[in-house]
Amino acid sequence: MNLNLVVDKTHRYNAIVVGSGMTGGMAAKELTEKGLHVLMIERGREVKHIEDYDTAMKAPWEFAYRGKVPVHSAEELWANNRFGTLANEETGSFFTNDKHNPYIEKRPFDWIRAYHTGGKSMHWGRQSYRWNRQDFEANAKEGIGVDWPIRYDDLAPWYTHAEKFVGINGNKDNLEVLPDGFFLPAMPMYSPERHFSQTMMKKLNRPVVIGRTANLTKPQPWHTALGRATCQYRSKCARGCPYGAVYSSLSGAIPAATQTRRLSMLHDTIVSEVLFDEKTQKATGVRVINQHTREVSEYFADIIFLNAGSMNTAALLLNSKSNRFPDGLGNDSDQVGRNIMDHHLGVGANASVEGFEDDIVYGQRPNALYIPRFRNWANDKQTEYMRGFGYQGGASRSDWKRGVAQDGFGADFKKQITQPGKWNIGFGGFGEVLPNPDNRMYLDAEKTDSWGIPMIVFDAAFGENELAMRKDIANSAAEMLEAAGFKNINTYNRPEVHLGLGIHEMGTARMGKDPKTSVLNKYNQVHACKNVFVTDGAAMASSSCVNPSLTYMALTARAADFAVSEMKKKNL
Amino acid sequence: MNRREAISHVALLLGGAFSAPTLLAMDHLESRAAVKNATVVFELNEMQRKIVAEVAEMIIPKTDTPGALEAGVPDFIELMLKDCYRQPEHISFNEGIQQLKTAGFLTKSLAEKTDFLRRLEEDTKEMMKAYQVQQSKMGDNEDQELIKVQAKGLPFWRLMKELTLLGYFTSEVGIRSSFDYVPIPGKLEEVKLKPNQKMYAY
Repeated sequence: MNLNLVVDKTHRYNAIVVGSGMTGGMAAKELTEKGLHVLMIERGREVKHIEDYDTAMKAPWEFAYRGKVPVHSAEELWANNRFGTLANEETGSFFTNDKHNPYIEKRPFDWIRAYHTGGKSMHWGRQSYRWNRQDFEANAKEGIGVDWPIRYDDLAPWYTHAEKFVGINGNKDNLEVLPDGFFLPAMPMYSPERHFSQTMMKKLNRPVVIGRTANLTKPQPWHTALGRATCQYRSKCARGCPYGAVYSSLSGAIPAATQTRRLSMLHDTIVSEVLFDEKTQKATGVRVINQHTREVSEYFADIIFLNAGSMNTAALLLNSKSNRFPDGLGNDSDQVGRNIMDHHLGVGANASVEGFEDDIVYGQRPNALYIPRFRNWANDKQTEYMRGFGYQGGASRSDWKRGVAQDGFGADFKKQITQPGKWNIGFGGFGEVLPNPDNRMYLDAEKTDSWGIPMIVFDAAFGENELAMRKDIANSAAEMLEAAGFKNINTYNRPEVHLGLGIHEMGTARMGKDPKTSVLNKYNQVHACKNVFVTDGAAMASSSCVNPSLTYMALTARAADFAVSEMKKKNL
Repeated sequence: MNRREAISHVALLLGGAFSAPTLLAMDHLESRAAVKNATVVFELNEMQRKIVAEVAEMIIPKTDTPGALEAGVPDFIELMLKDCYRQPEHISFNEGIQQLKTAGFLTKSLAEKTDFLRRLEEDTKEMMKAYQVQQSKMGDNEDQELIKVQAKGLPFWRLMKELTLLGYFTSEVGIRSSFDYVPIPGKLEEVKLKPNQKMYAY
């Protein structure tokens, strides 16, 4: 497979896709499959599927620091390192060097980036959930932010489309709060988890389901056709899956687009601005800077998809100034860069489990349990905060690591900690963040990066709603663990978590009905520049509490379908 | 304090999950970044190495399976301290070795050494209270520790114990002798534990 198809000398294409990550990949796939010649531009280095997964098959002892983060790496990847483990030897090469790509924090923001082929799809958590009906309706009902210009039914067929292609495992749980989709066989729950799930339903009427992830449990013919195989249950997904069982842009969308022979790709190429023609009131192409040579050139297309990642997509719009758009392309509403949302995490509870001591697991499950939102849902009404959260977590048998906390040393100690310990169980919340125009990023007026592009300034923080919700996330998790009869319950609420750490940053070019208060229309078109589409997380008008990638991919496929039909009608 | 809050915050004495060392000093926004001094090289002398090796082997001795020495743990500990920890831990680790040296640790009988380390462990638990260690998780259910940052580095015994266990149970010798190593399980299933069955490692 050759990803570096020769770039056309005329620099002219039907479509340009900026970014090769979760949504850039999907945009390129959809557009090429519908007959368009597409140029995909990635700012980072080229990663070749399988070939470049350097750490994928390494044994634990082949890592000098055994998965821990060395200080020099922590300093180079300072933002990434706030997560705790991303800058380690196993996965560090799929995260961006923050020292070379700094940003400004007026208020602390954890901006975790992945500048390479496939972007963050190379190490995403793979949890894949549909939004529910209320997620699209809540803004309007509650007077928060702006109303979504679409509803669940507009997106439902595109969810199915994305689920089929990606390959999501899970059960049909028949829950309004977590709509079912097209699923491959689900992964199993373990015995203490089944006990927990049954008890929660019986005592609290709360469903606890097995997670739905983008790992192939049973590849379908269209997966195998792309060279993707069954999950081997190593749970080393973030190193790059050599079996292609994990969905990434690199294992799925890019090979599919490549097979059409209509995809060209540029790596190490930073898009600095979108070019706008005052006469036609349309974008004509993009200006780019070669990451290494700093050579500037231009590429042209009929339509442009911006999929650079929510923050970079907004930065690109802000940096694309013209007479028509003095404040940045499509920024008539002054909403570009505002309303940063994420999911807040690092809060929950864990406990130890008595019993089930004969049960162990063969293999490692790259998945967890999911407890769908139950707050402010159905008859539940919270007075302290709006919206809700979901939990991810599960049970595992403790291993030798428990020895650190245990008294003793010597032969008996060694023998004891080598044997399987008790089961532990824990759940961490992923909470919805409300849109707030004062949570924003903008371009610094003076400071520029190594390529002369204005640096991004973050000025955003969790609000009272999020902070109040966090208390309940910890307490409710403890209550559920207690109700299940588990012992040694411990809650946590990590104080050092900021917006961004969920790596679900979104909202900086929101969709809406009114061009005065939103950036994109119901087909992800920039209101006042119809041949520019934004289909990454920037488009989001609210955040729900479920993991966002599946929704981004569904929005992307829907927008691509619309764009091509408009081109056919000569509307673009 | 209401009942919900009362069931939280169980104190962990030596720590719970395995620590991510650089979490102790990670944030370029936080004050501890001021302690940064990458230029200081951490290196043990021969006497210090002997003490580290002796303590590591006492934590994980050779039994019917190899011990810490055979698994290369002492070198690993030195590497980790040099590259993954900063000056506060370098200082506290050196202080701990000095304490053992002053007490004539290496010349003591095995019973005396054992007794000494038992007392060191008890003292360490007292010292660790200041760190208010909590277990937590981030993202996909990964165990982490939340440790209240202190100006002083983590105590010697805590560092020795966690690095010995990490070094041993992730070494080829340690994994192959202690566990059933299955790098490519190929399937996922619940099984019943048989008598004397080894745990799986991946």
